[in-house]
Amino acid sequence: MSSVTLKNLSKSFGTVKVLHDLNLDIEEGEFVALVGPSGCGKSTLLRIIAGLDNATSGDIWMNDKWVNDFSPRERNIAMVFQSYALYPHMTVEENIGFNLRISGLSKADIKSRVSEATDILDLGQLLDRKPSQLSGGQRQRVAMGRALVRNPDAFLFDEPLSNLDAKLRVQMREEIKRLHQKVRTTSIYVTHDQIEAMTLADRIIIMHAGRIQQMGTPTELYKNPANVFVAGFIGSPSMNFLHGQIQTNQGKAQVLLPSGATIDFIDRGNLPADGRVVVGIRPEHLEFATAENRDNVFEGKVDLIEPTGAQNHLKISVNDQTLTLVDTSLRELNIDDTIRIHIPVEKVHVFPHSE
Amino acid sequence: MQTSSEEKLPRKLEKPGRASRIRALRKSLVPWFFISPFLILFLVFNAFPLGFSIFLSFQEWNPVAGLNSMKFVGFKNYLSAVDDPWLWKSIYNTVWLAFAANIPQHLIAIPIAYLLVASLKGTVRHLYTATMFVPFITSTVAVSLIFFTIYSANTGILNQWLLALSTMPFIGGLFSWVPDVMPIRWLGKSDLLKPAIAFVVVWKYTGFNIVIYSAGFLTISKDLYDAAKVDGCNAWQQFWYVALPMIRPFIFFAVTLSIIGSLQLFEEPYVLTSGNSGGVGQAGLTASYYLYLVGWEWLEMGQAAAISWILFLFIAVVTSVHFYFNGRKGLEGNQ
Ligand SMILES: Nc1ncnc2c1ncn2[C@@H]1O[C@H](COP(=O)(O)OP(=O)(O)OP(=O)(O)O)[C@@H](O)[C@H]1O
Ligand SMILES: [Mg+2]
Repeated sequence: MSSVTLKNLSKSFGTVKVLHDLNLDIEEGEFVALVGPSGCGKSTLLRIIAGLDNATSGDIWMNDKWVNDFSPRERNIAMVFQSYALYPHMTVEENIGFNLRISGLSKADIKSRVSEATDILDLGQLLDRKPSQLSGGQRQRVAMGRALVRNPDAFLFDEPLSNLDAKLRVQMREEIKRLHQKVRTTSIYVTHDQIEAMTLADRIIIMHAGRIQQMGTPTELYKNPANVFVAGFIGSPSMNFLHGQIQTNQGKAQVLLPSGATIDFIDRGNLPADGRVVVGIRPEHLEFATAENRDNVFEGKVDLIEPTGAQNHLKISVNDQTLTLVDTSLRELNIDDTIRIHIPVEKVHVFPHSE
Repeated sequence: MQTSSEEKLPRKLEKPGRASRIRALRKSLVPWFFISPFLILFLVFNAFPLGFSIFLSFQEWNPVAGLNSMKFVGFKNYLSAVDDPWLWKSIYNTVWLAFAANIPQHLIAIPIAYLLVASLKGTVRHLYTATMFVPFITSTVAVSLIFFTIYSANTGILNQWLLALSTMPFIGGLFSWVPDVMPIRWLGKSDLLKPAIAFVVVWKYTGFNIVIYSAGFLTISKDLYDAAKVDGCNAWQQFWYVALPMIRPFIFFAVTLSIIGSLQLFEEPYVLTSGNSGGVGQAGLTASYYLYLVGWEWLEMGQAAAISWILFLFIAVVTSVHFYFNGRKGLEGNQ
C-alpha cells in the first residue's frame, strides 16, 4: 500500500494541454473518486499515475519515493482500463491470472486466487471462454478481476462498472467497498455515477477541463461547493442557477434578479467587487411556502411534473425563469396551477459570476 | 367488394404470363453471363490441362513427335516413378530446403517486424519495410545469377571476403582456417550446394515475411501492451505473451505460403546449378526441377504427368498436416 502525491503535474498532447498543474495528496489506504465530464482528463491522469504515459512536467511520488521514471511494473499498480484491454487470445481464467503467472506464482496458488476473484465477480461459469465470447458486462467484470486478484500498492479503476446493469452495479459496488474495507489498498476510482462516487469514496475529486475544481468528502462538496461548476455537478437533479446583482437593503444582503425580484442570502464573504453573481438553489431545498414565510417567497406556475416514485420533480416557471423543485410530499398538482414557493435563506448559495 | 378482390387475386397468381417467364429466365441467365469470362478462361487454362494431365499420365508421349505418337501404357509411368531414385532424391532435397530456407526466414522476420512496428513511426518504417521488400520483387533469375557470381570459387566476392576476414586484426583468428580450404567451391560440392541455395531463398523472401508480420503486429491494439505493462511484463514478456500469440494467424498464413513456395522451388536451384541435372550429385535437384527435366529435357510427357500427380499428393499431405496441427486455433474464438 502506498500514498500518492502529485505536484504541479501537467500533461500536453502536442500543443493541446489536457492537465493543468494538478496538486493532489492521496493518503495511504484512502479511497478517492475522480469525477468530471467526458474529456476532462481523468483517464489521462490515471495513465500517468500508472506509469503508462509520462507527465509533461511535474512530479509523482508514491510512498515518498519519486516515481516519475518508474515503469508500471516497478510502481506495482493494478489498473482496470476503460476499454477493458483484455487479452483476446487468453481465456477468462488466463486473463485474470496473467499477472500472477508473470510474478512467478505456482499453478495451484494462481488457481485458488483466480477462483476467489471469479467467485466475487460471479464469473465462475465462464472461466474457459475467450473475451470475444463474452457480453460487454462480463468483459468488464473480467477486467475488474484482473485487478482484484492482485495485491498491488494501489488500485486504479477507470469507470469499472459503466457497462453493468443497475442491479449488478449495486452488487459490485458493495463488493468493492467490502474489499476496500478489508484490504485498505489506496484506490483511485473514476466514475460518471455520482452515487457510486459518493457511496464508495472517502474523498471526491472533481475535475473540469484538466483542472481540479474541488476535493473533499461527499458532504463537503454537497454543502459547500467551491464554484458554479461543482455546484452544478454534484446533486441530482442539478442545482438551479439564476444570474443577478448583489445589493444591500436595510442591512440585508440581497441579489437583485433581472426581473426585479430579490432573493435574500447570508453573506459568507468572498463576493466579487463588481457585484455580479450567480445564485444557486438546490431543487430539494425549494419548498412550498407556508403562511409564516415572509421573505424569499415567489409565485410561480407549474410547467411540468415528473414523478419518480418517492418524489416528484416539478418545473416551475417564476418570472420567465424555470426552477426545479423536488417535492417529497407528493402534493396533488396540475399543470398550470399557481403555487407559492419559498427559498430558505440559509440554503441560498452565491457564487461569483465567471467570465 | 371484398369477395371480388379475393376471387381475382388467385386467378392472377395461377397464370404467370409469358413475359414474366421470359423475365425469370433472363434473371437466372444474367449472372452466368457476367462470370463467363472467368469460366471460359478457367475451363481452357485450368480444368482442361488438369484433366489432360491425368489422361497423359497413362500415356507414353514425346511432344515433339506430335499427338499421334501417344501410346497408352496403363500404370507403367506411376510404377517407374516410384522406382526412380532421382524422384526420391528430389523430394528429399525439396524437404531439406523447405526446412533450411523457411525456418530462418520466419525466425528473422518476426523479431525484425516487431522491432520495426514498436520503435519506428509512419514514413520511416515504410521506408525500411520497402527496402527489405525489394529482394522479393526482384526477378528470381536475376537474383540467382548475381548469387552465382558471388559464390564463384575463384573470383566470387564471398570467398574474397572470407580471405580478407582471415587477415583482419582481432577477428582474423576465427577465420584462420580459410586460406587452407581455398578456393571454396560453394556450388561445386554436394554438401555446400543446398545451404548455398537456401541462403538465396532466405535472402529473397525474408522481406516479404517482414511485411506480413508488420501488418500482423500493427493489428494489435496499444491497449494490450498497456495492460501487459500494468500486469508487470517487461519488454520481452510483452513480446512473448502478448504480441506473438496475437499474430498467430499471420504466422499460419506466412508459413503456409512458405511451404507452398518451397515445394515449388525451381529458379534458384536451376540457375545456381546452371540447369545441369540438379548440380553435383543431384544435391540441388528439387521436385519441380526434376519435373522440368523429365518433361522438357528428356521429353517424357507421360512420365512427367505421373510424377506431377505424385507430387500433388505429396503437397496435399504436407499442407493438410500443417493445417491440422496449426490451422485449427483461431485468434479469439473456439477452434
Ligand atoms: N493520445 C492522445 N493524443 C491527443 N489527445 C489526447 C490523447 N489522449 C487523450 N487526449 C485528449 O485529452 C483529453 C482528456 O482525455 P481523457 O481520455 O483523459 O478524458 P476522460 O476524462 O477520461 O474522458 P471520458 O470520461 O470520456 O473517459 C481529451 O480532450 C482527449 O481528446
Ligand atoms: Mg476516460
